[in-house]
Amino acid sequence: MDFEIAPEQQDLVDSVRAVLAQECPTALVRDIVENGSTPEQPWKSARELGWTAIDLPESLGGLALGFTALGLVVEQHGCRIAPGPFLATVTQFLPLVCEAGAPEQLARFAQPAGAGELRGALAIDHGRAAEQAPGESLRAWRDGAAWVLEGQRTYVLDGGSADEIAVAARVDAGDGVGLFAVPQSAVKAQRIVALDASRPLAHLRFDRVRVEPERVLGTPGRSARALGRALERAVVAASLECVGACQTLLEMTVEHAKSRRQFDQPIGAFQAIQHKCADMLVQLEKARATGHFAMMALAEDDPRRALAASMAKAAASDCQRLVCKEAIQIHGGMGYTWESDVQLFVKRAKTLEALFGTGAAHRQRIAALLEI
Amino acid sequence: MQLHYDAATEAFRAEVRAWLEANQPTPAEMRAEPVKSSAHLTGWSRRWQGRLFDAGLLVPGWPRELGGRSLPPVQQLVFQEEMARFALDRSTNPQGLEIIAPSIRDYGSDFLKEKYLLPTLRAEIAWCLGMSEPGAGSDLAGLSTRAAVHEDHFVVTGQKIWTSGAQHADHCFCFVRTDPAAPKHRGISVLILDMKAPGVRVQPLPALNDRKHVDFNEAFLDGVVVPRDHLVGQLHQGWSISAGSLAHERGMVWLTSARRLDDTLERLRALARETGPDGRRIGESESFRDAVAGLYVDAQAMWFMGYRGFAKFARGQVSPEHSVLKLFGSEITQRATRLATEAQGVDALDVDYQGWTFDDIRGRAPWMRQYLVSYGGTISAGTSEIQRNIIAQRVLGLPRR
Repeated sequence: MDFEIAPEQQDLVDSVRAVLAQECPTALVRDIVENGSTPEQPWKSARELGWTAIDLPESLGGLALGFTALGLVVEQHGCRIAPGPFLATVTQFLPLVCEAGAPEQLARFAQPAGAGELRGALAIDHGRAAEQAPGESLRAWRDGAAWVLEGQRTYVLDGGSADEIAVAARVDAGDGVGLFAVPQSAVKAQRIVALDASRPLAHLRFDRVRVEPERVLGTPGRSARALGRALERAVVAASLECVGACQTLLEMTVEHAKSRRQFDQPIGAFQAIQHKCADMLVQLEKARATGHFAMMALAEDDPRRALAASMAKAAASDCQRLVCKEAIQIHGGMGYTWESDVQLFVKRAKTLEALFGTGAAHRQRIAALLEI
Repeated sequence: MQLHYDAATEAFRAEVRAWLEANQPTPAEMRAEPVKSSAHLTGWSRRWQGRLFDAGLLVPGWPRELGGRSLPPVQQLVFQEEMARFALDRSTNPQGLEIIAPSIRDYGSDFLKEKYLLPTLRAEIAWCLGMSEPGAGSDLAGLSTRAAVHEDHFVVTGQKIWTSGAQHADHCFCFVRTDPAAPKHRGISVLILDMKAPGVRVQPLPALNDRKHVDFNEAFLDGVVVPRDHLVGQLHQGWSISAGSLAHERGMVWLTSARRLDDTLERLRALARETGPDGRRIGESESFRDAVAGLYVDAQAMWFMGYRGFAKFARGQVSPEHSVLKLFGSEITQRATRLATEAQGVDALDVDYQGWTFDDIRGRAPWMRQYLVSYGGTISAGTSEIQRNIIAQRVLGLPRR
């Protein structure tokens, strides 16, 4: 039992931090938001340095460092509000393919995604994600050896730009869950005006999309477990990216409180400001510790993994609520401006709060798991 | 980073568990002799602490002759986890074992160690801690109890307050001002004061919750003579002892509050099955479920943050987590007990309960009483406001005014 980051993991964290500091300044995110640019970084670095393959087995060209290492890397991405396909491809698309896919499907989808040659997305029902249900808005039925998908999936991260979409749909068999890998070109994508333009979202329309047997992941009607386990990874990763974004918000806020002077002293000398900052740290420490527990629970396939994932999301939710509020407030007038980077981090945190089940949804899930 | 322990550690856990099964005090003996304060050593509590000492489990990190086994930190943690699982405390005089014994070991003369250390560890003597005064609470360094320095003795005059267990304690580990001319922190010394000495008068100070709930006292000191050799550490250097004393066992002191929070959450889950004032099951309320789930996350996070702090402690690093855990744990306890009172509605107003003993107040008393007692957590040992100051200034580096 050890919550301390091991030296080799710390080396990884340090190298990711250094690369992102270099390749992913906040200006890069701002350029996406303001000008719609499509930078090749930091995805290029993630691909070249193997971050995309951290949690893949060696048989698929992966580094087999485990989900703990991946979680730490995702947290660092959050600290820089890194844009790009990393989160959706590595922590959403890949887990579903790996949980449900047959060997040839792993070779076809997981291996290239791990190599950074394929960008993936995960289309699920965010409103039902906490309870790990497929949702009713997208249905699938059998048509000979193939399956047909009809309906929609909303707010799919990178849904307008990914190459392949991993899809969970409602089926009228067994546990009600069917999983599929669908080429993005087969669906009608409608990009929305997303809160955080560096986390682009799309509504996907499935108009009787025909899915050939080699693109059916696992057995429809016997896929609830795989969906649940994949969602747990997506949920914990989103929580850790949120923790990273909140970490930077706190650092920015403390720096501001030290340098901004009013009434002949730094505003950080006022107890009202100090206590807000202290409460921000408490929530951040809580969310990070809970997120780290969850990533270890997934890495070790601990029986508490479902509970741990929902706890991580709930703790991240508490954290972002307070940290975003106080970061804007303590920055004062500057915090209210477009020019300040605070808004960029706040929008990332709010996006991550809403995706894959809100804190409130996960608390209801926790209550159910605790049989309250 | 990993959740599981290695096989050798798990083997040690099994050994501890078996030992505790065989040696823990029985409910019957505990009921027969209720503990009345935090310095009340009963027959069973003396025997229990003695068994821990003899087994080398009283202070597992210390050497054999001091009731330990020189265990490495991870095994100390496992021992504490098992104590938490069995809901056991090592001592019914926690300040004696956890604060004063380590302070005497670290700062006391050979004479004082000889005279007081082993008897404290073996639960032969009980202690109170004389820190707070009417004029020195959060601002502890402002204490004004005076010790006049003579050739071979001190004469102590002043007043202590919030002195836990003073009515049962044999001795007081007493912070006094020996140099009134020196700046605040500089002129303080620590004396070991005999609570039966002439001039010591103890007056109970019942807490808001229950007139019978007496752990706090006022201690009036009027010309109390303390022999010179009962000075702990150097003259006028008491402040460093206070910092050292309170730092003792911080690596693991959070375990007690984490365990109590777990207990509280268990009882909240049980409350969910009870009928509320509207005739419906309390757990049917979505807002109640939401609040309990949130508190459950917080209670679990106590453990995870504690483990993170412990990892640093085990590597010999100073951990800022202590203030975070103290603040967080006491405030969650307050929220949890308040939630229960609100869910109970009018039923919270019946505060009658039987079988009161000093410790029961946290676990078995009506929720409203537990809620009132929870303020002890957010006020004592550094108020929540002081903890926030510490976090802001020492962890985040914000400027002092």
